[in-house]
Amino acid sequence: MHRRGGGARRCQQVGGPVNLKAFFVTTLSSALDLGIAIPEDVLRHVTPDVLAANLPRPLWARLLTACLGAPRVDAQLVVETIGVPNLCEHIPAQIIWGCIQELAVRSLSGVVMAAAEPLVQRAPVAASAPISRPIPLATPPPPPAAEPKVAATPPMGVMGPSIPAPGAAPVEQPDLDPVGRPRVPPGQRFRQSSSGIGRLAGNTASARRPQAQAAPPAPPPVVEPERDRSGTIPRVKRGQTDGDFDLETFVGGKDDWKNALAVEDEQLVDWSAADETVTTGEELGRKR
Amino acid sequence: MSNDQRQAWFARVMESGLENDIFAPSDVLTHATPDVLASHLPAELLSRVLSASLAAGSMTPERVLETVTPELLAKHLPHEVLWQCIAAAAARAGVSKSVGP
Repeated sequence: MHRRGGGARRCQQVGGPVNLKAFFVTTLSSALDLGIAIPEDVLRHVTPDVLAANLPRPLWARLLTACLGAPRVDAQLVVETIGVPNLCEHIPAQIIWGCIQELAVRSLSGVVMAAAEPLVQRAPVAASAPISRPIPLATPPPPPAAEPKVAATPPMGVMGPSIPAPGAAPVEQPDLDPVGRPRVPPGQRFRQSSSGIGRLAGNTASARRPQAQAAPPAPPPVVEPERDRSGTIPRVKRGQTDGDFDLETFVGGKDDWKNALAVEDEQLVDWSAADETVTTGEELGRKR
Repeated sequence: MSNDQRQAWFARVMESGLENDIFAPSDVLTHATPDVLASHLPAELLSRVLSASLAAGSMTPERVLETVTPELLAKHLPHEVLWQCIAAAAARAGVSKSVGP
């Protein structure tokens, strides 16, 4: 069994283990906390003579100071001032044990402590004493009318705009700013989305920047290119202008650009008269 | 005082006695004999004690008190038994010549 150096000598006097005092502290403290014991039970064993014989002078000084400053001196004050650890430290273990033993006997016998009731009632009495006894005041209390009335909702009409109640009907009067002038509704603070359908409305035309009026493009001819059985676009034969499937026809549909790019007849090359070109089958056979 | 207060106090005293080596678990089982434990502990608690001992391979007083904590001792065992344990430890410590009240 472990023995602690600090308290070994004292415990050797009674032959007990060194943790006996800690056991006493826990036992007595919990008994007081749980109402198993009251401070009078402690002072019944730890009498003033016992305290005088065993309590150190500094603790006596503390106790005297507390008693002199307290309006009432009772067992609770003594026990709380000294403290259970100090009691168990300085009071002989046989006396503390006698107190604990008495508590155990009383607890096991089921005796209800009659003296425990004043402890319970002490706090409410002490708490209600200042209330039941009138306290003289230097100045009389202010009349009830002088008390500032705290409105649930302070009036806001002076400092800010009048905001109608959520359920109230809209008031048909111009809104006023703090100065009293009619408030001009602010403009659009956020840019409208370009993808909104409202952009196509007529009133939005003035909001946009002026732009040059462009002639509406002619709707592209709905020409469904004929597809062969394989699903590919058929090749265009040169010279077939009517059925010529050309991309430019989808863009403009006019011949202005063709006039600008007109080619004179002199500029044309007679491919059949050229030397390098073999056009007839006879010449082809002869060369071979 | 109510039974709850007395039970809490005995639980605290038993816990403090074990913590401060006032008495050992074997001292507790000297008073809380197997007959006492079997007579007062609920079946569920007895099962836990046996399960813990089977898992550990042995049943020791320390292992019994690991399952049957001081709170459970004070809850299920007669407080007279617990007090006999406490008083006997005090007698061994020399603070009391009598074993019990």
